[in-house]
Amino acid sequence: MAYSDENLIAAHLKGDPTAFRELVCRHGDGVLGYLCHMTGNRDQAEDLFQETFKRVHEKAHTFRGEGFKSWLFTIATRVTIDGARRRKRRVAVSLNQERDCDETGDSQLATVADEKATDPADEMVRQEQKEQVRRAIESLPTGQRATLVLAYYQQLSYREVAEVLGCSVGTVKTQMSRALATLAQRLPDSIGATK
Amino acid sequence: MNGHLTDQQLIDYQFDLASEADSGEARTHLEKCETCRRRLHALARKLGALELLRDDVTASKTLLSETLRNATQAGRWKVLLLHRLPWAGAVAAAVVVGIGLLSVPSVLRKEQSRRPSSPVVVQQKTVPPKALVAAGKGEAKGPAHSMPVRGYEQTPSGVATSVLVAAAPTAQAGTVIDERPPFAPASAIELVVLPRREDVQLTIYNAADLTLVRERRNLTLKRGWNWLQFMWANTLIDPTSLHLEPLEHKGQVEVQQLVFPPRLRELGRWLIRSEIDGPAPFELTCFTSGLSWRAFYMGTLSADEKTMHLEGHVRVQNNSGEDYEDAQTRLVVGEVHLLDQIAELARRQYPYGSPLPTGEMREESLDGAVYFRQGKDQLVPFRKGVGQMLESWERKQIQKEGLSEYFLYTIEGTETIPNEWGKRLLSFEADDIPVKGLYKHDEERWGTETIRFLSFANDQEHKLGETPIPDGTVRVYGRADEQGHLSYVGGMEVKYIPVGEEVELNLGSARLVEVKPVLMDYRTTNHTFDAKGEVNGWEEVRTWKIEVVNARTLPVEVQVARGFETPYWSLMLADGAVSYRKHDATHARFELTIPPRQTQVFEYEVTTYHGVRQEAFSKDGIKAGN
Repeated sequence: MAYSDENLIAAHLKGDPTAFRELVCRHGDGVLGYLCHMTGNRDQAEDLFQETFKRVHEKAHTFRGEGFKSWLFTIATRVTIDGARRRKRRVAVSLNQERDCDETGDSQLATVADEKATDPADEMVRQEQKEQVRRAIESLPTGQRATLVLAYYQQLSYREVAEVLGCSVGTVKTQMSRALATLAQRLPDSIGATK
Repeated sequence: MNGHLTDQQLIDYQFDLASEADSGEARTHLEKCETCRRRLHALARKLGALELLRDDVTASKTLLSETLRNATQAGRWKVLLLHRLPWAGAVAAAVVVGIGLLSVPSVLRKEQSRRPSSPVVVQQKTVPPKALVAAGKGEAKGPAHSMPVRGYEQTPSGVATSVLVAAAPTAQAGTVIDERPPFAPASAIELVVLPRREDVQLTIYNAADLTLVRERRNLTLKRGWNWLQFMWANTLIDPTSLHLEPLEHKGQVEVQQLVFPPRLRELGRWLIRSEIDGPAPFELTCFTSGLSWRAFYMGTLSADEKTMHLEGHVRVQNNSGEDYEDAQTRLVVGEVHLLDQIAELARRQYPYGSPLPTGEMREESLDGAVYFRQGKDQLVPFRKGVGQMLESWERKQIQKEGLSEYFLYTIEGTETIPNEWGKRLLSFEADDIPVKGLYKHDEERWGTETIRFLSFANDQEHKLGETPIPDGTVRVYGRADEQGHLSYVGGMEVKYIPVGEEVELNLGSARLVEVKPVLMDYRTTNHTFDAKGEVNGWEEVRTWKIEVVNARTLPVEVQVARGFETPYWSLMLADGAVSYRKHDATHARFELTIPPRQTQVFEYEVTTYHGVRQEAFSKDGIKAGN
């Protein structure tokens, strides 16, 4: 039986250490993906990831009891913004910038070799397409990118996205519409067909 | 809409970003416009490439564990820092103490107003995530049921335990208690302390493998709904017989129900509604199997063998799986009618069979598994029977009481009876009981042996008669020498001996008293014939010599039974030194007293009648034995 996020956070507040662990495991991928999209850098995303859940741990008592996911991404967004501000003051250069957020970035060829069922040539094409999509998303303005990632990848409702970003639902829809229109222009025509 | 839809309009339509009106217009247009449909399809396919990055990022285990460690130990570095800088630590400690002193009164006030009544002894349990989650759900629906758990002390260190633990949900003092009982928590992991047994009473029914356990425990209740957990793992307690009752505050403390949570074996939870905060004594009754008792008696004959010292012992054996400390022990003599075997009930996975409402067993068991028989035909259900027992348990002295067809023995004081232990306890002791020794000889029953008997009566004349004597083994010892050493005389199993009834103990074969019958003469006489000249009637005459030897140093009474295999017999003694009396239709019994170390011989002639001589026997007025 899976327990709701709200029950887990309540258990965490009552002192149950396993509840917080469950929350981190449950939302870890989503939060990290969001942060990767927002930062374009895996290392930065992981730093922000840790900072996000640290804040969740500390601020759990401020959770109002509903909409844990949107509350979580609100914190992640603020952590991202704070991180961006810090980075403005302290320039960091990644030595592996281009493929930082590719999960297989550490060993792309190895991954290709591991996937025995997939033709290596197809896999190379697929990796290239993913890179194109990633670049397209990273080229979006921050607001549009956050909206797209939250609404599309994290599957938050537009209302929840509005809560996370602190704006109206109309604004969210506008940002989303523009983001998709931009992506429609920047993504190559053939890419969807080979997905 | 005159022209084609723009890409933006198509995107808004596809991703539900358009207003309702715009979306309706777009849908209408798309139904008519093949071009726009193709464009929409191409657009959707292109944006479908976004799926390539879905689930593309996975947080590694290392990252998760680091995150957890950092999050949960967020403040630790500050502590370490203070350790490294002692002066800073001292300053910080002083500041913290000062703040604490200032803030404690207000915190306490807040705490008291928030939680006016706290348990006397409370241990906050560390509840596993599932339990907490379940609690959270329950709180959303109704009254609180996730509670601090409170209790007292572990039972003695036995391999098996029946354990009571108390858990109290909260209720504000002065507020109305929710009439809806809380949800029964089914968490398997609990952290508790256990209430100590105040006293325990055992009533052991020897006729059946049945013991009624009554124990008293003081529980601390909180106002509101309280859960009381009872576990009987590895014992033979019959869970269908569990009964809990408050001994005080009866109007304010009410035991509502007993729940057997699913998935948890050998565990039940009582729901108690309490109007009071504080301690309340409870009485728990249940049936268990595995406790038994047996009676043993030791008789010591006096030197002249005219009186006997008799001690009654009871051996209680405990294989119930539970230790009973300082238990008042009562033994019931008499038959108990059981509908189920308690041991079998105790070993069931669920007290009432499967928790699913199927099967007939549940109905049967709910209808009451155990009955007492009162009188000959009346069956009294368990509850009523218990009530009647409890009334008689109020007295503290040694008691032997009649309960209809039963008799209840109470062993003085209390006894600790650990599991897998047996214990022999003194039941009664009587001195100088008049007894009568008797030697019996009956060839038809014991062959050539003479059997020694010891008889007395369970009445006041014999300094007994206060109580029936339960079934048991009697062993009789005699004085072996002048120094008072004992020698084993004999023993036997005795049945239940009611008050006023005579007891005859068979002590076995006597070696020093012998009876030797010898047939001295045999003849037939008084033959009669029928019309064909065939014999149709005759008499048989036998002459017997009986020699009785007493090699003992005490005079003995001897009873010699002789059988004739027909009711048509007459007997004539050779001299008048010995008397006899007719024992039954076919037997005569001679009674003699033989002085010490003497032999007595007597002769008798017995005539038996056969064929038509039997008619003459009756017609002539000759009576058997005459």
